[in-house]
Amino acid sequence: MTDVLLEKVELARDGRAVLSIPSLHLRADRVTAILGPNGAGKTTLLRLIAGLERPTAGRITIAGSAPDPQQRRVAFAFQEPEYLRRSLRANLELGLRLGGVAAGAARARALAALEALGIGELAERRADRMSGGQRRRANLARALCLKRPIVLLDEPLAGLDGAAYMRLLDELPSLLSQFTATTVLVTHSRDEALRLAEDLVVIVDGRVRAAGPKREIATNPRHADTAAVLGYSVLRAGGRRVAVPDAAIRPGPGAVMFDAEVENVLDLGDGWDVGGRIGEVRIHIGLRHDAAPPRPGDRWMVHTTVAYELE
Amino acid sequence: MQPGLLVISVRTLAISGVATLLAIVVGVPIGYLIARRPFFGRTALLGFVNTGMGMPPVVVGLVVWLVLVRNGPFGPLGLIYTPSAMMLAQFLLATPVIVGFTTASFQALPPRLSDLLRSLGAGPFRTAWLLAREAHIGLLAAVMAAFGAVVSEVGASMIVGGNLARSTRVLTTAIVTETSRGDVERALLLGIVLFALSLVVSLVLTVVQQRNRP
Repeated sequence: MTDVLLEKVELARDGRAVLSIPSLHLRADRVTAILGPNGAGKTTLLRLIAGLERPTAGRITIAGSAPDPQQRRVAFAFQEPEYLRRSLRANLELGLRLGGVAAGAARARALAALEALGIGELAERRADRMSGGQRRRANLARALCLKRPIVLLDEPLAGLDGAAYMRLLDELPSLLSQFTATTVLVTHSRDEALRLAEDLVVIVDGRVRAAGPKREIATNPRHADTAAVLGYSVLRAGGRRVAVPDAAIRPGPGAVMFDAEVENVLDLGDGWDVGGRIGEVRIHIGLRHDAAPPRPGDRWMVHTTVAYELE
Repeated sequence: MQPGLLVISVRTLAISGVATLLAIVVGVPIGYLIARRPFFGRTALLGFVNTGMGMPPVVVGLVVWLVLVRNGPFGPLGLIYTPSAMMLAQFLLATPVIVGFTTASFQALPPRLSDLLRSLGAGPFRTAWLLAREAHIGLLAAVMAAFGAVVSEVGASMIVGGNLARSTRVLTTAIVTETSRGDVERALLLGIVLFALSLVVSLVLTVVQQRNRP
């Protein structure tokens, strides 16, 4: 069982604390999403686990021992994948050969992984000349074909858009379950995290703000930072701070009420999109076309039935 | 063919070839280490290396002469006016060229490539070898530039070799000798041979360099 345990891990660069993690447990054979804004230290955390960087203090235990960085059996799919100037198949084989896999077996595993990612026909193509989507898929194939007990995926869908993004996002869950490993996935997208992961870790400013099973974290944000990362609006209601899912704000009076200021009203054809502010926080509320929309400048009473009180 | 021409050509190739090979053995690892990661004084060091790339051969020759001359610090070794002395001078000329081009070649690689190789499990030597293969175009340019610089220089060879007909005369110093003697025809022939020699070496290296290129 390849659990990853971080204890009192500190990393400082130029005297500035980049990461500070008193304790974090990444559970064996589960998919954990590291979620946080840009620059929060997510990629640095992956690099520490991979042994590409050493913590200033603390220790990282993998499967019960603290192996030398060279001995860590991890597969790392970097955010900006690089390839050697050779065929895609040869690029995948290199990692397998370095891991001690025999030539014939390496070839078979490389080809199988490329097939699994739907790019089998690119095997003999030069790897440094692929489109963005192909590079992403090849990057995942390279990491997964190693079948290492720990798989680190840094923004595996970054730079993809539209159909290519949706397709790969759809395929990822079954791919990850096909190649069982302690998988750590870095993303700044809440939707990706909720869709792909079983456990969530929220990192803001180098500190872990929340960690645990996805459902628990997503429905109980506790801190304002976590709430913001998880896509909640953080609002004030009667002297308390609450996290409110945007879609849960409706017009009219209710359990938890807010005073909104209407800024613009957009005709979407089949309804209205009302944009406004509650205090400093921007909100959008969809209204059906048969409802009478407020006018810009109006003060508007809205409410929510879902609100999580923050500490 | 004029008698002695073949001997002089082979001698030229041997001296400049060995000097370039030694410069590769010493210069490529140094260039790799400079390119690996920033350290205090790296820019200053590279400034020196780049200055060395344009060092006047006569000056290098003079310094080596001062060191190897009979009453100099290494005089007892008896190296002055031998092919070894010429190799040493040419090695000193070639090394900065190799180091400078090697550093630039490795620095031009994607910086994350070495992280990738390390995460795949490559040790430091394997990583260096794989990166060198990626940088082979620049590295072969380094070899060509270094060989071209030493095979064509005359000042250092003249000073530390002494242009002795039987042991240290190379194509460039022979051209000087024949021209001063007034045998322009032979000087021209030697010039053509020197040019052909450089051409063949560069062509071979260029073919290796450009393999698998679009």
